[in-house]
Parts: sequence; C-alpha cells; structure tokens
Amino acid sequence: MQTFMRNKLVSITRRGNDTLVIHGVLDDDIYGLEMNMEIRLTDLTILSLDGKWNHWTTPECPRAVHFLQEAVGLRIDEEGFSQKIHRLVGRKACRHFANLALECCHSAGEAALLAKWEDRKGMNPALTFEAFLGQTERPATTVPSGTIVSAVPSPPRPAVRVEKTKAPKKIPVSAGMVIDLHVHTSPASPCSSAPVDDLIQEAKRIGLDGICLTDHNYLWPDESVEELRQRHGFLILRGNEITTEQGDMLVFGLDRDVKGIIQLKDLAEEVHGSGGLIIAAHPFRGFLTFGVGQLGLTVEKAAERPLFRSVDAIEVLNGKVTKKENAFASEVADGLGLPATGGSDAHEVSEVGLYATRFFTRIRDENELVNALKEGACAPCAFRAKEKESVLP
Amino acid sequence: MTQILQFQRNRCTSVSQIDAQTLLSSCHLQDTLTDAYVELTVKLPDLEISDATGEVRRTYQEECKNQHDVLKKVLGVRIGPGMLKIIKGLMGEVTGCDQLAFMVEECCHGVILSFTKDELLKAPEEETRKKDFYANMVKQNIRLYNRCAAFAPGSSLVDGIEPPSEPAERS
Repeated sequence: MQTFMRNKLVSITRRGNDTLVIHGVLDDDIYGLEMNMEIRLTDLTILSLDGKWNHWTTPECPRAVHFLQEAVGLRIDEEGFSQKIHRLVGRKACRHFANLALECCHSAGEAALLAKWEDRKGMNPALTFEAFLGQTERPATTVPSGTIVSAVPSPPRPAVRVEKTKAPKKIPVSAGMVIDLHVHTSPASPCSSAPVDDLIQEAKRIGLDGICLTDHNYLWPDESVEELRQRHGFLILRGNEITTEQGDMLVFGLDRDVKGIIQLKDLAEEVHGSGGLIIAAHPFRGFLTFGVGQLGLTVEKAAERPLFRSVDAIEVLNGKVTKKENAFASEVADGLGLPATGGSDAHEVSEVGLYATRFFTRIRDENELVNALKEGACAPCAFRAKEKESVLP
Repeated sequence: MTQILQFQRNRCTSVSQIDAQTLLSSCHLQDTLTDAYVELTVKLPDLEISDATGEVRRTYQEECKNQHDVLKKVLGVRIGPGMLKIIKGLMGEVTGCDQLAFMVEECCHGVILSFTKDELLKAPEEETRKKDFYANMVKQNIRLYNRCAAFAPGSSLVDGIEPPSEPAERS
C-alpha cells in the first residue's frame, strides 16, 4: 500500500530575450505549495520570487511566505547556492519551500542551456543540441540538494602555534577524573563557534579534569595539542569524530586524518590495528523522533545493528540528543555489555561539560584514555547538565 | 511571444509498504533533458537501505550515463539525521552525477515524511489544542526550534519554550 507521495512540477517559459518565468508546484500528502520566480538569463540572477500555500500543517506555517524574498538577488550558479537557499529559505521560511525553490532553480539552469542553444541556432539552424554542448561550457548550477561533499571548500584549520617548549606545567590529575570526551572547536569544525582557548578556559572554570578535541574529520596535530596543554595547564586529548556509512564515530588512538566518508568496517580494522578505540557517537540521534513504537524499534533489535559489532563503547549521554534517545542508547549499551560514555558534543563554549565521562583511574594521555575505556573503567555523567534533571534511566 | 514552454519537469517520489518490515521508496524524474528513476528498499525498524536500484535513461550529462552501480554505495545507510552528508560523501566519491545522489535523498525524505504524516494525523482540529500539539512537538524534540518560520522566535508555537543554545542540526 502506498503511504506517501510527493509530486513536483516545474514549467518554464522564456519572456523576451533575457527572462525565464518559472512556475513550480509541490504537492504531497502533507504539504501543498506553489512558487513563481523570474530569473535573468544573462547572469542567472533571481529577479523575483513569491509563493503561496495550498495546504500546510501548523497554524504558523503561513509565516514562511514572507521570507521567500531572502532569495531574491542570488545567482543560481554562484558558489554555495544550494546551501544559501537552505539557510535563507529552508531555515527562515520552510524547508519544503526551499526544496521547491531548488527544483525550480535547477530546472532554470537547464532551461538556460536550452535557451542558449536556441539563440545559437538562430545563427546556425543546423546546430544540434549535442553539437552545441560540445562547444559550450556547461552552467555550474547544482542539483537541488546542493553540492557533493567533495565540492565543499575545506574549512580553515586552526593555526598550529608552537611556542618554545617550557618546563611542563603540572597537569592536575587525581584518581577519578571527569573528562568531556566530545567537543568541537572553531574553525576546525565548521559547525562550531567555540574557539579552542575559550573552550578550555570554560572547561577549567567549571571543574572538568580534561577534554578531548573531537573535531569532524580533523585530527589536531600533536604539537598543537601539546602547546595547548602547556599553556593552559590542563589535560587536553586528541580524538576525531569520523563519519562512516553507519553514522558518526568518536575515534581515539588513530594517528591519521580521515577525510570524507569511510566504511565502518575499514575504519574499525585500521583503528583496532593501531591499538585505538571507537565509540559510537549519538547512535540513536533522531531515530526516536517518530516514537519507538511507530518504528517497532526495540532495545533487542537495535542491539543487533552491525555497527555495534565494530565499536568498543557507546556514547549514551550526548548533549545534542533527546533524553529518550540517550536513555535508549544506555539500554542498548547495557544489553550489549559495552562501556558507556558521555560527552557534551559542545559546539559552543557554554556547552562544554554538559555531559562527560568519569574515569576511575588516572588519565594523562591518549594511551591511558584508550586503556581505561577498553577496560570499562569509566561511567557517563551529567556533569553540568542541570542537576534537576536525572538523565540516566 | 508565444507561451510555449521552454522546459518542463515532473518529479514524483512515492513510498509504499511492501510488507511489515519493508518499505519501497522510489523517485522518478522526467524533464525536457532527463529521464531517470531510483528505487530504495528500506528495512524497518532501523530504516536501513537494503537495496538500491535505478537508471538514468536519458541525459545529456556524460557523468550520469551508466551510473546505476554507484547506487550500491548507499546500502547499509540508515535513513535519519546526518544521512545527507553520508549519502553525498559515499556517492560523491564515485560519481559526478549529482542528480542521482539527489534522487536518493528524495527517496529518503519520502520515507521520513511518510512517518511524519502518521504523527501529524494525530493533530487535533480545534485551534488551541492544535497549537498545544505543535508546541509540545517542539518541546519533545528541541531540534525543531528555529528550524523554520513556524517554529522560530515570535511564533506562538514556541512561546515560553527555552531555546537551545545553538542552532539545531549541527554535527
């Protein structure tokens, strides 16, 4: 039985020499919307854009239409166009309007190509479309979704600042240490707004014993981390959050920068081969949005996921997921007998230490961290999550 | 000037329940220059892509011809948050055919929307209760806060809800 259908229709006419007139319709079981757009042919600039709802969900959805104007003036072949539409229309208005806008714009790019061919045919009526393509540089319009990851410019990485080595400051350690195993810094993680120095100062201020830098697909150079340790007199460890086809993994003890998406089995082979360790990061993020019952996901079924055969521990307290999702991850870790960890997943300074991991042994470097995790000599904790909340089930 | 269309596109995405544990999500694209389809088999309850087939039957883009094998790269991917980065990353490594990757995304969104529909059907008709229903949805899933105009500050649906400390859908 069919449970959902979405139809999108885009039609484009040419008005005069230099304008494409676009009409788009999106209609599905939930949403119905239309869009009218004009694009200048010579530079592919959006000249006008308006839209209307035919059917929608919340009483506040109509607010979205006003924000469609944000896209006027953008050029559909400019770098990062899809991301701009997602940001300006998708987030400010509605992601379904953004979806239709991108469908319209991509179609306009194709129509512009046909228009150029028609113009050339005016001078050479025998010119076929194929021959025209052979002579023409294709427009750089992207498909509706946006650019492929490899086309995204690499984010600026933090400058390596190595100062003259001074006598090492004593790093405060004691039996039983609380370390935030999952933090993101700016600019190493493009999605973070937390400068590393500010993050460390805040971690010290709230009484954490250490943090792990786990930026996305970016491994901090050893010398940079050592310099930070010395300068702040604080335990700072190196990790990495690596995206696999099975989701995000926190990796410790791998001295290699992994770019792009890697298969989990390949990652596990490499990490375990080098004595490192993998923690499944926020393994149920978003999966419980529809409710466990709706998907029929049980702890037992979830525990059967192949990914849990490749990881050494499970993050069961993550600052970016719901309490239900954390609780579910905790039950799965219990069921599998895997060590459980906590980390804030901080992307802002104020978030560091929200959740963390308490170690029952001294941790002074990545080796001791990996060993403690492997031995399960640790437990997740809500370090500065409001004490009023009891997060663990 | 005649009003004959310069270009026309029709994209249809649909989701069907094949059996208690299996969904089939398909995306068909037909326009003036392209004809293509993608079909994903999705297993419940993990929403894992267990099969992916498709073909670009008509295209002017060389990079989109004979690319059906690249769809196998998404086998094992689970539909849910973070999937777009994974799909683009996996397919982007082996093909320059962005359209095919987008069609996979459309199939995945269709699956999510099919579940969303079931949830939205529970919304009450009466206006006040309807507002409460959506406000509660945001409270239960704070990632929705500021994700669109309806859930942005100033909307009655988020009145009194403490905003998360960062924009949603980051890492």
